[in-house]
Order: sequence, then structure tokens, then C-alpha cells
Amino acid sequence: MFYLQQIINGIAQGSIYALTAVGYAIILGIVNVPSFVHGDVMMVGAFVGYYSVLLFPDNILLVFIIVFAANWFLGIIVDMVCYKRFRNSPRQVMLICTVGLSIFLKSSTQVTFGTQQKLIPNLLGNNFFALGEIIRITYVQIFIVSVVIFTVFLLQILLFRTKIGLSVRAVSMHKSASALVGINVNQAMEFGTCLGCALGGIAGILLGIYYNAVHPLMGGNAAMKAFISVIFGGINIPGAALGGLLLGIFENMGVAFFGSGYRDIVGYVILIVVLLIKPSGLLGRKENEIKI
Amino acid sequence: MSKFKYLKNLLIRGKSHLILGFLLVTLLLFPLLVESQFIIRVVINILIYIVLASSMNIINGYGGMFSIGHAGFYCVGAYTAAIMSTRFGWSFWILLPLSGVMAGIVSFLLLGFPALRLRGLYFAMVTLGFSEVIRLIVLNWITLTRGPMGIPGIPFPTFFGNPIMYNWQFYYIILGIVVLMLFIIRRVLNSRIGRAWISIREDETAASAMGVEVFRYKLMNLFFATFWAGVAGCFYAFYARYISADSFTLDEGFSILAMVIVGGQGSFIGPILGPILLLTLTEIFRGIAQYRLIVFGVAILIVMHLRPGGIASIKLSNIQEIKQKLSVRQDK
Repeated sequence: MFYLQQIINGIAQGSIYALTAVGYAIILGIVNVPSFVHGDVMMVGAFVGYYSVLLFPDNILLVFIIVFAANWFLGIIVDMVCYKRFRNSPRQVMLICTVGLSIFLKSSTQVTFGTQQKLIPNLLGNNFFALGEIIRITYVQIFIVSVVIFTVFLLQILLFRTKIGLSVRAVSMHKSASALVGINVNQAMEFGTCLGCALGGIAGILLGIYYNAVHPLMGGNAAMKAFISVIFGGINIPGAALGGLLLGIFENMGVAFFGSGYRDIVGYVILIVVLLIKPSGLLGRKENEIKI
Repeated sequence: MSKFKYLKNLLIRGKSHLILGFLLVTLLLFPLLVESQFIIRVVINILIYIVLASSMNIINGYGGMFSIGHAGFYCVGAYTAAIMSTRFGWSFWILLPLSGVMAGIVSFLLLGFPALRLRGLYFAMVTLGFSEVIRLIVLNWITLTRGPMGIPGIPFPTFFGNPIMYNWQFYYIILGIVVLMLFIIRRVLNSRIGRAWISIREDETAASAMGVEVFRYKLMNLFFATFWAGVAGCFYAFYARYISADSFTLDEGFSILAMVIVGGQGSFIGPILGPILLLTLTEIFRGIAQYRLIVFGVAILIVMHLRPGGIASIKLSNIQEIKQKLSVRQDK
């Protein structure tokens, strides 16, 4: 029974990881460089969400739209600062630019909003469904899982039913070939980065709602989890989603077996083992590997 | 004509020796001239990061691998020194090479055998994972490392019976380490081993076709680089007298990487300039305490936008241009 409860908690947490990982996978597929700014993108999303919850406490949909739009603009900045000029430079230049931007965002948030954590007002109360005697599914968990499923559904429509989605997918497969068939590669890359950042922002505010708090350093760990999920599942959208869910479940099982100090080790051990055994990930295909 | 050339060469070489000598004398006299303890501490900090950045540059710049997890080996060195000195009372001077060897062995076991099969970014991700795993093990293995409490009260090192406790004394030790390290790196890079590393960096297949044992030389490269990270960790442990796992997070690894790349990866002078620039900038803004990290981030971004190859890339290209112009003029 106890383990079943852990699995349910794992699914709730894993679905947040999955949403972050999907955004991360889009960016990773496009620029081929791990982005270390993603955690701070999530953090900015959570802060925007926090202040818009205070402004519009009864309209949660509006909050999500505001977060999405704000992080879309942040995505434009990220693309401008970290990626646009360095598309043909050595790989480590982009990587170090994301590190620099991450340090900048983190510390400027600390300076502006203070280092303490801010409590998000509890929108859904502490209600839960009780199954049997021990198992509890809180409304927050149900809310989070449904938001994630809905967002991924919309994303699926965007990527597979629209023209810009098609060009994003084409660019992440092969840049020069998609330029040859008349796709505006620069625009598609910018669009993909913005989309990834906006999804990251939504995941950030969900993380804030799940833990009831936002603070400037919340992103780093979550982004590493997203990164691990992408590597675990494979650099494509179903892979990233599956990787995130499984990582959430494994972590909570790890906590149940070994204690809470070992929560993060589970993730990193998975990262190393997957990279050593099957670097393309669970659902990844050989051609989707990051080109060296 | 040849006599003239000889004279010119002598002049240029003499000049660079003169500059080097002048620099060394300034560095030696530095603690006597400067009263402020704060400035000496800042310079010690810069020197520690020069050791870390230069050793990371051996992996990233000369070995052709891409490591992010240097902080993990720094951590191994620091904890080796702290545990051995507080529990068994070992001396600083023995621990200095020993922690280096310990860090080297850890990199040998963790990175060398399993991870060297991977290339490029995959290798980078594994180093990142191992760096974090090392930190988390340190944080959770409470019987050995006291976990989140850290290890306080590391004894003062002694020098012929006299305790070393002032900043200027530590300054001379770390200056000695830096000079020794730069000298050894210089010698190794100009030897068969260094040339083998560079050939592997340029083209692995071609290097192995020419008879370079790629795997062995990569292992040597990793061991050599992480050895110096361990030495820096040992010095840090004795200098700070308190260590905890918080000092060795991923952000620390990223800062070292930033210093290497901002300075100029793959050049000898780059990882010396990188820490000097970034740390001096942040220390200038220390007065407004919280803003220093903002300055750190912005400085990285500005340098990358102006010089994607790092600061050292300006000088190198200029020198080559000048050389080319000189040779053209001589031909005429």
C-alpha cells in the first residue's frame, strides 16, 4: 500500500518533470547543446505565476496564459543572448552563454525579490480522494496531471498539425536539409526555443503550486531532472515525457527504499547508466543522437 | 644577415624573460607591499582558481575531451586532506600530493574506464553526473564526512615546526604551487605526451593511425588534470580550515568552466587570464554585495559576444598576423 502511494506521488511529480522535459527536448533537439538556463527559465515562470496568482486569484486559466506569454518573451531573449549569434561557433560557446545567463537571471531575481521563499496561496485546499485507508490522491496532484496532459495534447496539435510545427520538427532533424527545402531555419529555431521556454514556465508554476512555494534557486535542481529525463527517454517528445514520468516514479521509490537523502542520487545514477548502456535513450533512435 | 637575426631573436627572448622576471619579482614582493588582508585573500582565491582552470584546460583544451565536472575532483582532494589531517594528523606537505593522487585515482576509476568510450557532449554529461554523485555521496556518508555539518577545525600546516597561519604565508605556498604547476604543464605539453594529446584533439583517427595509443594517453590526460584539481582542493581545505559539500556544487564546476572558456580554451595563457578577469571584476563590485554574481554572469556573456574564442584568442591571432607580416617583409 505504501509503495502504491509512492507511485501515485511519483506520477504527480513525474508529470511535472515530463512537461519540463518536453520543453527541454524541443530546445535540445534544435540547438544540440544542453541548456543550463532552463532551470532559471522555470524559476522566472514560477515568479510570474506567483504574482499573477496574487493579482487574479480566481482565474487560474489567465494565470497560465500570462506565464506562457511572459516566458515566450524570455525565450526570445534566451535565443538572442545564447544561441542566435553562435549557430556556427564551437559548441562550448553556446553552453557557457547559457551558464552566464543562468547566473545572471538567478542573482538578479535574488536581488529584486529577495532570497526568501514566497508562499503561493493554496488554490485547491487540502482536499483529497481517499482510496482504501492509506492511499490519498490530493486535488493538487489531479490538477497538475490534468494540466500536463492538456498542455501536451495542445503541443501535439501544434507540432503535428501546423506548418510552423512541421518546420520545427524538420529543423531538429536536419538543419541544412530543411533549409534546402525552403524552411526559414532561423525563424523555426527561434520559435522552438520560445516554445520550450514557455513550456518550462508552465512547469515552473506547476512546481510552485505542488510545493506551495517559489524561490530564486528552485530551478537548478528541476532543470537537471528535466535534462536527465530527456537523456533517459530519448531526445523526442514521447521519449521525454516517458522519461520524466519514469524518473518521478523511480525517485519516489528510491526515497521509499533508501531515505530522502538519496533522492537526487537516483536521477544521476540513471543518467550515467543510460549514457553508458544506451546513449540514445529508451525511445531514442540512433539518428536522433546529438551530433558531436 | 644571420648575425642580425640572431641579435633580434636574443632581444625578443631577452625581453620576454625580462617581463617574466619582473612579474615574478612583483608577485614575490606583493604581500610586503600590500597592507590590506582583503586584497591578499582575493589574490589567493584567484591563484586557487588559476590552478583549477589550468588543470581543466588540460582536459578540455588539450585532451580534446569535454569535462564539466571538475568540481567533483576538487571535492575529492579537499575531503581527502580534511579527513586525513583531522583524524590521523597527517601533515600538509604529505597530503598535498596525496590528495592529488586520490583525485586522480577517482577520475581514473569513474571516468577513465567506463566513460572514455563516450564522445563529446555525452562524455560531458557523464562528468557532470559523476561530479554531482560525488557531492551527494559526501553529503550522505555521515560517518566519514560528517555530511551536511562539514569538517571544521582543520589544523594549521607547519613549516619546519612553525605553524603557517597568516595570509601572506598561504600566499607564498599557493604561488609556489601555481608556478610549479605552470612549469610542469609547460614541460609536459612540449614533450611527447603533450604532443600526443594535441594530436588526439585534432584528429583521433589520424592520431591512432600514427601510432598514438589514444585510450592510454586520454587516461594519462585525465589523471594529470585531476591530480592538480586535488592539489587545489587540499590547499583550499587547509586555507579555509572548514569545508562542506556546499562548496563543490555544479555551479562551482560551471564557474571553473566559464573561467577556462572566457580566458581562451586550448591556450596556455587563457586559463590564467580568465580567473583574473572574472574574479577581479566580481571583487570590485563586492561593495554592493548581491550584485557581484550579476556582474559575473554579465561578464561571461559580454566576453563571449565580443570574443567567442576567449580573451587569449585576441593575442594569439595578433601575434600570428604580426609574424606573417614580418616574414613577408623579410622575403621582400
